[in-house]
Amino acid sequence: MEKRQKRRVWLVMAALLFVAAAVLMFAGQGEEPAPPPLEVEFPRRMRQPDRERAERRRTQVLPTPVSADSGTVAERPRPRDPLLAALPRGEGKTAVIIEANALRHSPIGGLLMDCLMRDGGKQLKEFREKSGVDPLQDLDRLVITDEGMMLSGNFENARFKELLGERVSADYGEGARVYEAGENSVTRPDGTTVKRRDTSAIATWNNQLLVVGKSPDEVKAAIDRVEGRGPDEPPAISESSTYGEMYGVLSVEMLSRLIPPEQAALAQRLRDVAKNVELHLDASSDVALVAEVRGPSADDVTDLGKSLGAALSLARIKAQAGEDKDLAQLLDFAKVKPDGDSFTLEMAVPLEVIRERLAICRENRQDAENALDAKEAPQEAGVEQAPVPVR
Amino acid sequence: MSPVLGIAGYVLREAASRKFIMAFMVGLTLVLAVVALGMRIDVIDGALAASRLFGQEVRATIQSVDVALRPVYQASAFIVFYGGILFGIVACSDFAPSLMSPGRIEHLLALPIQRWHLLAGTFLGVMTLALGGTLYGTTGLVLIFGVKTGYWTVGPLVAGLMACVGFAAVYAVMLTMATLVRSAALCAAAGFAVLVGGIIAGHRQDIAKAFEEGLSRSLFQAVTLVLPRLSALAEAAGDMAASLPLEVRSLGTLLVGVFVFGLAALVVGFWRFEGKDY
Repeated sequence: MEKRQKRRVWLVMAALLFVAAAVLMFAGQGEEPAPPPLEVEFPRRMRQPDRERAERRRTQVLPTPVSADSGTVAERPRPRDPLLAALPRGEGKTAVIIEANALRHSPIGGLLMDCLMRDGGKQLKEFREKSGVDPLQDLDRLVITDEGMMLSGNFENARFKELLGERVSADYGEGARVYEAGENSVTRPDGTTVKRRDTSAIATWNNQLLVVGKSPDEVKAAIDRVEGRGPDEPPAISESSTYGEMYGVLSVEMLSRLIPPEQAALAQRLRDVAKNVELHLDASSDVALVAEVRGPSADDVTDLGKSLGAALSLARIKAQAGEDKDLAQLLDFAKVKPDGDSFTLEMAVPLEVIRERLAICRENRQDAENALDAKEAPQEAGVEQAPVPVR
Repeated sequence: MSPVLGIAGYVLREAASRKFIMAFMVGLTLVLAVVALGMRIDVIDGALAASRLFGQEVRATIQSVDVALRPVYQASAFIVFYGGILFGIVACSDFAPSLMSPGRIEHLLALPIQRWHLLAGTFLGVMTLALGGTLYGTTGLVLIFGVKTGYWTVGPLVAGLMACVGFAAVYAVMLTMATLVRSAALCAAAGFAVLVGGIIAGHRQDIAKAFEEGLSRSLFQAVTLVLPRLSALAEAAGDMAASLPLEVRSLGTLLVGVFVFGLAALVVGFWRFEGKDY
């Protein structure tokens, strides 16, 4: 009898333990699906959407050249992207293309828009009214070069004459107009107008391109390249490198100027070893950067890669020790891949980190928009209540 | 408690006499020695710059050494977890049946100990064996990579201990099976069944979607609610070894839950063993 009772105790205990185990495991694992692991896709090559985008941009067909000696018609040139044609030619030049439209419609674009429109979009509205250009709709790409910058998009509604009216302008080539340096009227906040001398030259081409340069010769050279009168050298960025939301080639000089003064030794080393740096930034989900550094000596480039990898690792350790989790997370994805006379540096910033950092912009924008709405509402109410004039 | 420890010591002596387990320990030592002697790792300021296995470059990417070693530690944790449980199932499946073999069981039952002491001692002995093997392997791995890279972490050790908790749940079922049928093959089969069930239970939410809503899904959810969530534990062990954020809500609760499942299964064994005539 006692044995049977003892056995019953074991059985009851087992049942209770099974129930306890089920409850504990249920509570411990949780029933909600686990969030997907943090993965970042780096822009390492052209993808199908990039190829399709590049193909859509081949809109310019140059006239078929006729040989002066024999009078025979040469092979018809392939259509090309006028913006790529306008880029500077030769090695050691800087040309970085920002896909403004793609960036605007990316997740980070929304966050950046909040920061740009912290005043509730007042300045943007003013610019739109004054210039006839809506940067959010009409601007496609923006290029930064050593000589200045270029903008591509739809500038049919742009009021260039009003904007640049006081400059001397002349038609140039087949479809361009060059505005030379001149005086500009600038309205101050108090309503008074002052004249300022602007030394830059501007050229427009077929309402598609806007070239800003330091001198008229520079902008004319860009127009020459677009219209097929430039040198035969390939442009700084080939069509096969047009992937990501920002891409291009940075001269080592330009890049070393971007490195902070406390890293002067690294900047000097970069100047000594590297020839040029090609970079690609993808912002379609998280922000991922791939930079390819190339130089004449494979050993020196590999050593530079190792130094850079070590510097990044050290920065990550410091960030972890200083409990800067965001920076440590950012540097989690940092890696250097040596490959003979070049190495690739990969870095990424998860979107969530950027979202947290830029949350203040959204709040500011909402506050500003609310303030604008509140300001406009009584005015509208006032209009409705205004007495009808008696004739 | 001393009778339980006595039986556990008896099981350990039995294990020590088995060539199979000795061969495993020698094999593990060889693997660690090969990794220690054949691998060369260059670390510059905390970044893994290059690594060579028998003179061949195996990694060309330069990145923080802890980030670079994450996949190594994660893979090791999975190997220790699933490999360890599989090896444990095979190696320990006939401990309990041989202990209960005719002639031996009568001798053991004649000792002034309670019946449940026998099972508890066997369980403790096998778990000591599993713990020893796991700690030996993971400590060796941590030491090798720690000395070579200067990066020290207890993650793989903790992951190894978690694997032992997983094995405890599996072995408790095997031991209970031995009280029902004195067969090493069936014990091993029960162990495999719990392992597979445990893998399914860890992914029950995803798998449940494959069932049609209604009785079949509810039945599946009810069965897997009780089973030890081994795959969830294995993934947590992998994350722990790689110093990654855990996906489970509370690791401690999950670990206790799996261990309590093992105890429950063992208590079923006690119940059965108490009522059995030899």
